Amino acid sequence: MQQEVVLAMLAKEPSQGYQLRARLDEALGPLGESINAGQIYVTLGRLEKAGLVVREGAPTDRSDRSDRKVYELTPAGQARVTEWLSEVNWPKPDLAEFHLKLVAAAAAGLADPISIIDLQRRELLRLLRDVQREAMNEQEASDSGLLLEGIVLRLQADLRFLEACERAWTDRRRHL
Amino acid sequence: MNAPMNQSDGELERAPVREPYRAGEEPLVRARRLSKRYGKGDGLVRAVDEVDLEVAAGEAVAVMGPSGCGKSTLLHLLGGLDRPSDGELWLGDRRIDQLSERKLAEMRRHDVGFVFQAFHLMDELTAQENVELPALLAGRSPRQARRRARALLEEVGLADRARHLPCALSGGQRQRVAIARALANEPRLVLADEPTGNLDSTATLEVLRLFERLHARGLTLVIVTHDERIAATADRLVSMRDGAFVDEMPLVGGTRGRLADLVGLGG
Amino acid sequence: MGRARLVCRLAAKDLRHHRAEAALLLLAIVAATATLTVGLALHGVTSNPYAATRADTKGPDVVAVEMARPGGPSQLTALEHARGVTGYSGPYLLAFPTSLEADGHSDPVMAEGRATAAAPVDQPKLVSGRWVGHGGVVVERSLADLLGLKVGESVRLGNDGTYGTPAGPGSMRRFEVVGIAVTAALQPSSVATYMHPTGFPEPGLVWVTRSAAAELARVDGGPFAYTLNLKLADAAAAPAFVTAHETNVVSLTSWQSMSARAGYIVSVEREILLTASWLLGLLALASVALLVGGRMEQRTRRVGLLKAVGATPKLVTSVLLGEQLALALAAAALGLVIGWLASPLFTNPGASLVGAPGSPALDVSTIAIVIAAAVAIALVATFVPAIRAARRSTVRALADAPRQPRRGRLSIAVSSRLPVPLLLGMRIASRRRRRALLSATSIAITVGALVAVLMFREQTHFVETAGGLYRFGGPGDPLWERAATVMLVFTVALVALALVNAIFVTWATVQDARHAMALDRALGSSPEQVTLAVVAAQLLSALPGAFAGVPMGIALYIVAGRHTPSAPSPLSLVAVVLLTLVAVAALTAIPARIGARQSVAEVLRAETA
Ligand SMILES: Nc1ncnc2c1ncn2[C@@H]1O[C@H](COP(=O)(O)OP(=O)(O)OP(=O)(O)O)[C@@H](O)[C@H]1O
Ligand SMILES: [Mg+2]
Repeated sequence: MQQEVVLAMLAKEPSQGYQLRARLDEALGPLGESINAGQIYVTLGRLEKAGLVVREGAPTDRSDRSDRKVYELTPAGQARVTEWLSEVNWPKPDLAEFHLKLVAAAAAGLADPISIIDLQRRELLRLLRDVQREAMNEQEASDSGLLLEGIVLRLQADLRFLEACERAWTDRRRHL
Repeated sequence: MNAPMNQSDGELERAPVREPYRAGEEPLVRARRLSKRYGKGDGLVRAVDEVDLEVAAGEAVAVMGPSGCGKSTLLHLLGGLDRPSDGELWLGDRRIDQLSERKLAEMRRHDVGFVFQAFHLMDELTAQENVELPALLAGRSPRQARRRARALLEEVGLADRARHLPCALSGGQRQRVAIARALANEPRLVLADEPTGNLDSTATLEVLRLFERLHARGLTLVIVTHDERIAATADRLVSMRDGAFVDEMPLVGGTRGRLADLVGLGG
Repeated sequence: MGRARLVCRLAAKDLRHHRAEAALLLLAIVAATATLTVGLALHGVTSNPYAATRADTKGPDVVAVEMARPGGPSQLTALEHARGVTGYSGPYLLAFPTSLEADGHSDPVMAEGRATAAAPVDQPKLVSGRWVGHGGVVVERSLADLLGLKVGESVRLGNDGTYGTPAGPGSMRRFEVVGIAVTAALQPSSVATYMHPTGFPEPGLVWVTRSAAAELARVDGGPFAYTLNLKLADAAAAPAFVTAHETNVVSLTSWQSMSARAGYIVSVEREILLTASWLLGLLALASVALLVGGRMEQRTRRVGLLKAVGATPKLVTSVLLGEQLALALAAAALGLVIGWLASPLFTNPGASLVGAPGSPALDVSTIAIVIAAAVAIALVATFVPAIRAARRSTVRALADAPRQPRRGRLSIAVSSRLPVPLLLGMRIASRRRRRALLSATSIAITVGALVAVLMFREQTHFVETAGGLYRFGGPGDPLWERAATVMLVFTVALVALALVNAIFVTWATVQDARHAMALDRALGSSPEQVTLAVVAAQLLSALPGAFAGVPMGIALYIVAGRHTPSAPSPLSLVAVVLLTLVAVAALTAIPARIGARQSVAEVLRAETA
């Protein structure tokens, strides 16, 4: 879980931990299940140490239960959020690794590239199937639905890449 | 599996809901060394070449492969629209590759529903009349046919479009009408040939949802497709090349825990 | 040069690709042009046979007859030099009634004694053989046709006792038929009436030598007559001449009244011929309209296709034109030959009419008209789609499936209550109303003609001739039989054309409903059901056609026959209607079955391509 995400979630208003959690759940839908509550508090703790958030409320508050604590951005935290929003970064698919795996397998004669491709394809198709199931359960036009749609499209692109690999490697084998 | 089961119509609910597919069950479709050849000599085309296939009741099978590899031909054979040159074919416990034209027609009428890429609706009939047609051909009374058609159109979400002609419907809507028509006689097997080949992604999703629901209800499906999304809804994926099966992969079995990785939410 | 080759190649390819259709269109145009040829030939025959014969035989302006005793006419010779007469032939002895016996049959004839030399007035024109000589007889053509006499056959002339006077031994003499001829000189009604009070309206005529005529007149014991043929300075004044010179001994006939009488005799056949050729023409037109109409739709799409791959409209039009012209000209040539070969079949009875000038020949104008008609068909079949496709954008021309079928709301609703073949049939029929209408018309014409023929055969008619009210009808009456033969020939042609039409329509329907039929089968109708459906679709349009044909036929009979008939027997009407429907069903079953047997997978595959 990226610190910036938690930080940005606080930008709207000071919130308690469970409120943050609910906001994430709404945005992520079924994918939110993979985030456990502890993770959020660990992250908040780190942010507090870094001086990006402060805990609000009187120290006289006897109950020290973390989920009742209200967190708030410090000015430094605000600055970090602004900076993060303006950053241009996009998750890069790591296709080079897979590609090199095929080349190496073929060169060394250790494995059949086609079967590697098939294995990968099967895996991606299963993923696609699951994501699709989830996507179809979502309400139309929900935030999390959009995310799932994104995954589906990504997987489709990967599958097409695998198809291209398969064609290329089949041709190559034929010409040998 | 938490697929939606929000059936909307009474009549459909009364229809027997079949058990979802379980491996090792008695197959509904069974093909042994099924072949279809065109031409002879130098012009010989092995459109389908000694294919073995078993589809269990309630199973959804997707067939993928490059253009011209024989997918449509295979589907036509399975549905009795075409006769194999060789091989054996069973539907349930009945061998159908040797049936007379009339028996084949009866089989198509009662046991098989077709969905085509080009929709193949009758232009001069409204959505409702198109869906009624198979029921009328099967000898149902006009009233029964009408009731059934209404229920099916409701099911595919087109109740308000029942009186429109196909030319007044969008591609996705037309395909949903075609699917409703394929279901008119409660077939045991639905064969779909690139059902989303002519549709954009939104329309594809409409059709996809529909297939998912049918599958969840226990309908046996064989879908030929170029679209991985459609293929991914199946229980099993068959890859074809030059008329033969080159790969079969089961798609059932969860990978759920790893979904988070895909969006960078992992640990 | 290269362009011309390209045009030819494209045209040839297209024709080869749509072979069955091209063949059908060819057939339809052949039928139409053949009909046209026959019609034109007939028109030449029946339009003015008398005038033609009159010109060919130096026909008399006035014929004078005197009843006389042996020894010669008393008053006739005076006419030879009457005012206004510029030429004459005769007087010739007329022996009647003389029996002519051939093949054991005996018929009453008049035998005219003639010189062996050619006469300046009324020299009968030989159709075959030679002119009279010793022991030879020349037979008037209608009589020869009637009795089936040919040159070289032998007959017996004389008195066989049929006409009151007892026959003595040797009163029949053997003659050889040496020639067959036509004449424009008709004997005055007094003679004709005397001979046949109720029978054949014109007595048969033969020519023999003078001496033979005298001998025949002697043995038959009947009255003598002499006949004199006159040529006047002013042919138009013939009726006045007749009035001026008629006495109770000499009766005269002007050529005008002879022409009118000849007209009466031909009128029956003429009416049949004309009516029938109109009906045939209509039917042929219907089939051409059907086929060209269907083809034009397809053409429109093809024009779009060619345009899409970059052909200029001019090239596209030349390809189409080349194709259609080739078809039309081939069809016209075939049609001309068939029509020419077939026309004697129709015109032989016509040519044997009194005064008919001979078999029709194909003249230049007939050929020109037939070719022009075929070319016109080709032009329409080319330019309508060319213009239509040019007007539409390429995309639309391409996208346009052949004419959108109609949606018959009522028939869809009604048909859903019917058994499957009728359900499908009704829907197929309601898709193309124009076509259904055309096929109904075709059936109506056929049934109408059949009903008219039936009534003709069933009823006795009275035809008013110069000789009085003539009872026309029933087998045995030669004129009636002749008319019946003409009708039969035409009816056969008509029925053949109608049946071809039925096949066209079915074929067009099968082509057009290919997709729907394949789909119906994919949805589970059996080939038998689909075949029955197509047949039912044809019957659905044939049924009203057949029913409409009955009153049409009665009306046709009344109009063409110019008199009010008694009602035809209902039994035969029912039989005609039923037989027609059965024939339609049987014929359409063949193309329907072929259509219903096509592989569903292939049709559906082709539809997506
Ligand atoms: N009537 C025919 N005669 C000859 N060959 C044919 C005929 N019909 C189909 N084929 C051939 O059979 C092969 C399989 O055709 P089929 O339509 O089943 O392919 P497909 O996998 O469905 O292709 P696509 O994905 O493009 O629809 C093709 O090579 C095709 O050319
Ligand atoms: Mg295909």
